[in-house]
Amino acid sequence: MEKARISSLQLFLLITGFLFGSTLILNPATGAKNDGWLAILIGGAVGTLLLAAYASIALLNPSKTLVEILRDRFGKVIGNIIAILYIWYFIHLASLVFRNFGSFMLTTTYPKTPLEVIIAVFALVVMYAVNSGVEVVGRMSEILVPFVPVIAVIISLGILTVHDFTAFLPVLENGISPVIKASLNLLTFPFGETIVFLMIFPHLNKRENLKKVSTLSALSATGLFLFIFFRDITVLGSHLIYQATFVPHLTSVLIPGINLEPLFNVNLIIGGSIKVVICMYAAVNGLNQLIGANDYRKFTTAVATFCVVLSIWVYENIFEMFDWAENIWLYYSIPFQIVIPLMLLFLSLIKKGNPAHEKSIE
Amino acid sequence: MKIKKLAIVLMLPILLTGCWDNVDLTEINIVTAMGIDKAEDGKVIVTVQVVEPAALQSTSSGQGGGGSTQPKPVFVESYKGETISDALISMKSIVDKRLFLSTIQVLILGERFCKDGINEALDFLHRDYQSEYLTDVLVAKDVTPEQILKIQSDMEAIPAMYIKGTIENTAIRAKVKRTMLINLFKDIKNKCRQVTIGQITKVNEKTVKTEGTAVFRDGKLVGWLDQYQTRGYLFATDKVKSTIVNIPVTNGKMSIEVLNSSGKLDVEFKNGEPAKLSIQVNLEGNIVEYIGKETLDSPGDIYKLEKILSQEVKKEIVMALNKAQKDYSSDIFGFGTVVHKYHPHYWEKVMDEWNDVFSKLPAEIKVDAKIRRAGLIKSPMMKDE
Repeated sequence: MEKARISSLQLFLLITGFLFGSTLILNPATGAKNDGWLAILIGGAVGTLLLAAYASIALLNPSKTLVEILRDRFGKVIGNIIAILYIWYFIHLASLVFRNFGSFMLTTTYPKTPLEVIIAVFALVVMYAVNSGVEVVGRMSEILVPFVPVIAVIISLGILTVHDFTAFLPVLENGISPVIKASLNLLTFPFGETIVFLMIFPHLNKRENLKKVSTLSALSATGLFLFIFFRDITVLGSHLIYQATFVPHLTSVLIPGINLEPLFNVNLIIGGSIKVVICMYAAVNGLNQLIGANDYRKFTTAVATFCVVLSIWVYENIFEMFDWAENIWLYYSIPFQIVIPLMLLFLSLIKKGNPAHEKSIE
Repeated sequence: MKIKKLAIVLMLPILLTGCWDNVDLTEINIVTAMGIDKAEDGKVIVTVQVVEPAALQSTSSGQGGGGSTQPKPVFVESYKGETISDALISMKSIVDKRLFLSTIQVLILGERFCKDGINEALDFLHRDYQSEYLTDVLVAKDVTPEQILKIQSDMEAIPAMYIKGTIENTAIRAKVKRTMLINLFKDIKNKCRQVTIGQITKVNEKTVKTEGTAVFRDGKLVGWLDQYQTRGYLFATDKVKSTIVNIPVTNGKMSIEVLNSSGKLDVEFKNGEPAKLSIQVNLEGNIVEYIGKETLDSPGDIYKLEKILSQEVKKEIVMALNKAQKDYSSDIFGFGTVVHKYHPHYWEKVMDEWNDVFSKLPAEIKVDAKIRRAGLIKSPMMKDE
């Protein structure tokens, strides 16, 4: 494992940046229309618990990455198989973020540029960041992530003239089931995706802060999601929110007299790049540990190339992308995000309660 | 190693080329206004007004000088197509450069186009990444959009800017409903509130007039409000920023400048059914002109005037409401929004017939007017005394 260390603040910013990521363009909460705020509250609360559970797994298995924990708890063979599946999952996740990002750029700003070019240029920067190591990524997050809420506030101030503050009424018009579905979606995208941080947690310099940092970042991300949702619904109304392809983008172009769209793109690039960098870092590190090689950097180029190709190949059109994010991602993710982590937590707790094992560690 | 470094240095200039989609200003036609109408055969006629930046410069700097034939600052072209995008692309057969749509200031819809329904027809403007959502929309009455766009104003070199200016100053006169593309998109599929769009008419070859409002029902143009009904409508929907209301006084006239106005809509329910519509308007104004003989010095005089002002504003609101209920049966005010928000269960039942329900409801209109100041003089100038 890399000997790098990141501070609590850096980890906090990394997790929040990761959670903002592509959620800023593809917010699953809009599936619940007016009641999206309820979905965000429920999803955020459960998501925070989930993140706390991940943190507990890391605390119960000190300074071990996900791959090592899996091997410890499931045995070498099964552990390795699950680890391979996880590595696939991280690679897949990275390529999906690539694709979201590329689709957005193509729709709103560069309609004639080939998708491949946008994604490849993005991937070059990501590769550079991954190769620089987790310390550099942490410092990068310190500079960049604070921009995300600041930009959200700037855009909101720009549209203060609109003031239908009751736009989110009526509550629960279509019953509770769309809300539950949207909050489940929100739970698996983005909260559950933070499972990749099990590859980053061992780098934290003060381990005792881990739980506090991860829950705090989940809560602040929920807060920002709520803020953005209320902004969008007061400005656009529930009908338009449901119809629009990229909701916050639509809000940002409504500011009279000035074009703040680039600011929004900046927001997206920051969130998206942090998400891809973390996923890719986790994937190459996992691969490295799985094989037992000495330097994860050897894998970066290969994995990045694979991600780019996969991201272009994965969807035929934009409707597949939305369909996937709303309907399929949920079921695909549950084993990775909830089932296996809960088993890990359970197994770790049992091992901890077993003093014979404690002795064997000492 | 050296080769690698050299290769990187040689690759760097690639980053300097800028955007892939970069198009030079000289290679685009800057569209300032667009008109959409329907031909008799059901096809769409799209009209664009394009600015010639070079000509624009010569008109503003060298006016009157030279004497040579000045090139016109804009040109207007129309084309017929199956859809808006088809017409725009096919128009290239008569227009030389790429049409750049993000600069559109006003969008003018034809009467026939509106009567056939705008709901589906405007999809292109919603979908296209170039559309500017803050474009002002107007409906041309008695003329085609093309005729409106072909005017040559003396006030502005670009007619579109001139038209835009007249809509923007609705903020000080409140005689035309200002609708931007985004408002249209918000209301198009919305059953709680029907679409209204400002009205534009042609006065002569040089001037247009934006006054009045086009009323839609389910996306189809059903009628018009005149300027006073429009103001009543704007008072009720809280869109008046400033305007002049004339009130009759004994032996004369008086003009009150409204400086502040707020309107609130409500629907009162009884036994789970809507019983009454209510409109509450509070406004504040100053006396700006008084042609009469009575003296003005006691608070009592002002109270009397306030009462007359309230009645006058109320009259306009009643006119607008009657038009909407009796003639057009279209809930342009958005009472449906109130019902939807606070009585969702009832709304679910009545959603599709709301306009008919709305038309039959009685209304209670309350106007509370305050007159605060009277300008630099109190009573009007009088010879004797």
